[in-house]
Amino acid sequence: MTIRNVLTRIRLIAHREMHMFSRRPMFLFSMLIVPVTSIFLFTTVMGDGLPVNLPAGLVDEDNTVISRSLVRTLDAMAETDLVARYPSFHEARQAMQRGEICAIYHIPKGTTSKALSQRQPSISFYTNETYFLPSAMLMKEMYLSSELISISVNRSTMTARGNTLGRAMAATQPIVLETHPLGNPWINYAILLCNVILPGVLILCILISTSYTIGMEWKMETHLDLYRMGNHNPAVILMGKLLPQTLLYMLIFLFMDVYLYKILYYPCHCAFINMVLIGWLTVFAAQGMAIFVFAVFPGMMRFSMSVCSLIGVVSMSISGYSFPTLAMDRYLQYVVNIFPLRHYYLIYVNQALNGYSIVYVWANVAALTIFMLLPVLVLRRYNKIFTDYSYRP
Amino acid sequence: MIQKFLRIISIAGHELYEIMHDHGVLTFILFLPLAYPLVYGAIYHTEVMTDVPTAVVDDSKSSIARDFAHRLDATQGARVVQLCTDMNQAEELMRQMKVYAIVHIPESFERDIKRERQTRIGLYINMASSLYYKGVALATNMTVLDMNKDISINYLGAGTKQQNKVARQPISYYYTPLYNTQSGFAAFIMPPVLMLILQQTLLLGIGMSMGRARETYRRKMHTLYQLYQRPVEIIIGKSIPYFALYLIMAVYMFTFITWFFGLPSLGNYLTYLVVIVPYLLACIFMGVVLSCLVYRREDCIMIFVSLSVPMLFVSGVIWPASHEPAFWRYVSYCLPSTFGMHAYVRIQSMGAGFADVYPEFRALWIQTAVYFFIAYLLYRWRLSLIKKKLITLFEGDYENERLLI
Repeated sequence: MTIRNVLTRIRLIAHREMHMFSRRPMFLFSMLIVPVTSIFLFTTVMGDGLPVNLPAGLVDEDNTVISRSLVRTLDAMAETDLVARYPSFHEARQAMQRGEICAIYHIPKGTTSKALSQRQPSISFYTNETYFLPSAMLMKEMYLSSELISISVNRSTMTARGNTLGRAMAATQPIVLETHPLGNPWINYAILLCNVILPGVLILCILISTSYTIGMEWKMETHLDLYRMGNHNPAVILMGKLLPQTLLYMLIFLFMDVYLYKILYYPCHCAFINMVLIGWLTVFAAQGMAIFVFAVFPGMMRFSMSVCSLIGVVSMSISGYSFPTLAMDRYLQYVVNIFPLRHYYLIYVNQALNGYSIVYVWANVAALTIFMLLPVLVLRRYNKIFTDYSYRP
Repeated sequence: MIQKFLRIISIAGHELYEIMHDHGVLTFILFLPLAYPLVYGAIYHTEVMTDVPTAVVDDSKSSIARDFAHRLDATQGARVVQLCTDMNQAEELMRQMKVYAIVHIPESFERDIKRERQTRIGLYINMASSLYYKGVALATNMTVLDMNKDISINYLGAGTKQQNKVARQPISYYYTPLYNTQSGFAAFIMPPVLMLILQQTLLLGIGMSMGRARETYRRKMHTLYQLYQRPVEIIIGKSIPYFALYLIMAVYMFTFITWFFGLPSLGNYLTYLVVIVPYLLACIFMGVVLSCLVYRREDCIMIFVSLSVPMLFVSGVIWPASHEPAFWRYVSYCLPSTFGMHAYVRIQSMGAGFADVYPEFRALWIQTAVYFFIAYLLYRWRLSLIKKKLITLFEGDYENERLLI
């Protein structure tokens, strides 16, 4: 076959594929509507970045000047919103069970009088840990305000004893901690999650639609036509068949990068083109994986689609952007390497988030390249699949 | 009445037969709900991120700084893996992902403390995951507070042990994480995901069985014409096998999975069963409605799988529902999973009673009614189409007969 011949065949097969898309609106749904809607969904749902004014309840049994100043300090903090006061802890807990508040701050009776007479009273706070994110925010602020009240008592004692304010500060807070969350100083959850979940959704869509469109040929029993169209050359066939999808997904990845880094201004400490190229490499890697899976389960369209779905869905949990892989079981730290999203995530952290040299993640780039090249291993097998296998439900 | 009942039973029997003879559907409704929670649990069962690898850059080379590093190492959140001589070395470790946080102790650290001046420690955290931040920031903050109090004693201490204790912390405080007492990740994410698994596998199963019916009987949605004439009977008959099976699955999630992974289990069995009935019904009827989109068996995977993660996100389990845009909140109200997840978390993890989950319970029944009605309309429409076709066929026959006469 001459190069010209090959290109013509690829063009014809791609054309045939586009014709298939046009007859089935479902392709439009899962290749365009789901990815693009997801991009808008995740970025707008977490549009605040960090939830502010989370509902908390207060049980103030003390009701003195000091307890009220403590309450004011707490209420003035960014993330805590004391929405309700309850006469007893029991009622506050019931409100929590109804889902009205995420945390309870409890100042028992006698707190002030004990504090004034140096009898060390204790206050307590509770968060509803079944909702992880709000409770983490509230816990942080409740710790802080509880600590501040002690510091302010000690500082008053110091100044009352005739010390300067500077000395009093040094006495009550000798060491000050300056925290620098690198690359995401606002601790913006949209940046933490969207940068990885969105490629995850895209990879899932790519895996499923690739195995669907390949399997469809066997299901409709058109695989032999296709085989003849591609001149019995699986490489040409697969290239032609996946070309429209590839271009579409490359476009969607480009759109995602433009939207995240150029419109929403998520931190991108590397060259913009790097993220685009990594996205495209991920598209090829996911497609390579799906082609490989279908070769392992030839003709079994449903089964290979299920395997691809499993890879796509599990990768969202196992990749380590929400729950670090470091904390998982030992064997999972090896298993995780078969998921393309894991490699994308590590490259993203290295590149866009931290702006380090790509040399540090060469292994992950190599892994994605290997996924991309997986079809080469099974090209010969595809010859056999085209001729010998038929659709199995 | 008895006729009706018998027809429903035979439709249910026919559905069951179809399900049992389709491996694809069986995988989705039998294998997946049984196995997927185990996979999910295997990933998250370690619950907490402890000992985040941390580097300490000690420029002061003092005993107080060493004490600080030791105390930090002893916390749950951080583990000091390397004492670095300068920032460059620590940054290199960070780039290689050998450490996820750097604590920088300045050269003037000890001198400042001795001279009664405030001193500053720098903490640099890799924001790859929020749990690195949470672990290290909390550990370092606690260590700093602890050291601060020890140093303060020198100024404030009045002598006796008790006085020192009070001076360290004039007002003490206690923090209690409720319901998920170790702030575990599995205990947070698994309960809602269990409910989502029920819904998604139902959608997949019903979708696939509809795809099979469509493929076998072409454009009709049902088979035996004699039996399948009344939409209400068809929908109820179709739902019975799924409902019966999923009641068992729901109990499996509530009991076995919860026990196996040690998830919070304060739930009252009866409350759970009362709420799970409308949840399953709403899911099944939604499945019947959405399955009209499925023309081939494999279509259902294409449609439903990629929606799982967005469904989890709009529900408000991860990101508080009160802080998401109103549009998405209303979208989430259309999904049974939103209410199912919240109700399950409250019942099972928080020990809520029936009164506490009444809003969710009511919403689920409303969804059940709405989805049933939509399914009814869809089926009636389809049936009328088929009837029209048959009538034209028969009329043709009449004409032929007349011609014969």
